[in-house]
Amino acid sequence: MTGSYANRVNDLCLQIGLLLLQNGAEGALIESTTQRLGRALHAEQVEVTILANALIVTTRTTENTATAVARCRDQGVNFSIVTAAQRVMIDVENGTLRSEDVSARLSNIDARRYPDWLVVLAIGLSCACFARLTNSDLAGCAVTFVASAGAMAIRLKLAARHYHPILVFGITAFFATTLSVPALLYKWSDTPQTAMAASCLLLVPGVPLINGVSDVLKGYINMGIARWTFATLLTLASCAGIVLAMALFRV
Amino acid sequence: MTIPSFLADMLLASIPAAGFALLFNVPKKFLLWSALGGAFAHSLRLLLLTYTSLHVELATFAAAAALSFIAVIGAKQLGAHPKVCTVAAIIPMIPGVSAYTAFIAVIRMNQNGVTDELVRTATQNTLRVFFIIAALAMGLALPGLTWFRRRVII
Repeated sequence: MTGSYANRVNDLCLQIGLLLLQNGAEGALIESTTQRLGRALHAEQVEVTILANALIVTTRTTENTATAVARCRDQGVNFSIVTAAQRVMIDVENGTLRSEDVSARLSNIDARRYPDWLVVLAIGLSCACFARLTNSDLAGCAVTFVASAGAMAIRLKLAARHYHPILVFGITAFFATTLSVPALLYKWSDTPQTAMAASCLLLVPGVPLINGVSDVLKGYINMGIARWTFATLLTLASCAGIVLAMALFRV
Repeated sequence: MTIPSFLADMLLASIPAAGFALLFNVPKKFLLWSALGGAFAHSLRLLLLTYTSLHVELATFAAAAALSFIAVIGAKQLGAHPKVCTVAAIIPMIPGVSAYTAFIAVIRMNQNGVTDELVRTATQNTLRVFFIIAALAMGLALPGLTWFRRRVII
């Protein structure tokens, strides 16, 4: 790395902030983690601006000031990366990690996800539980399990190809509805509407919704509105998928 | 409310909490905590709804706030931000079926014309979704807005 010490610290702060922003951390956590890392590396002041698609960090040391902007590509939610990045910051604060190793530790964070089959199975079971919690009968729960697990498998396949999330949500909702329609058409269940609704619940954008509200509450209003807008768009896309399937099967 | 139905509620809430924790890639050692958190919050809400006259929004808010305070206190021991566990844990309380019902009602209004029945369904469900999600987020944020406003959590 070249440049002044302020530049080097600034780059590290930007790197950790970006990891948090890309993987679903809320604004308050991004700002506090970035600032604490900077201060642990003896910066006098670290200021962070969080935008929906970029991060701006300014670091001031006794000699110099550095500012940099990084473009952020959203990578979905990955709390393992968020936890690991935070761990790096805490290790620097505690003095167990030297400043020259920070960048390598951050670059080598394990980004692996749980195996697809496990997520598919777990989400299928989860949606079946939602159906049960909404008083569906057992046949309805079984249909929900199959439909939502199938839809989740499709969602993971589409996401792996890096399709736009809006497209992924729309197509997934289409298949979730399509797979649960037989419960209504062939009268397998006495509560087919609940089964159809529960099959689509794997598409609830829980993290952007919760982070959006908490960003607005904690003073990151721009970020909060951006998250809400995106969550709304994802929901509308899911709706479009559901409508398309319902129109196709005339239900 | 019988004890078996209460236990069933805990179990039914813990599975989606763990399932969504897998989807959010929560680290392995926190998966169990997500599931327990989900069971705790959902069953606490059920208790409040059954034995007090609280409305569902307030009961949701109380359950989310209780979960969040416990998580904030526990976060220091576990060494991770409390949101890592709590966001997955409140997923079972998100009124997804209401949201779905509201959307379908709106679509039916567009396709078949507006009726009083559809307007009622859409309005009631939309309001319910809006208030419950606001209650969940406020409840989760409560520790950060009060005792921990100027303190670091971990």
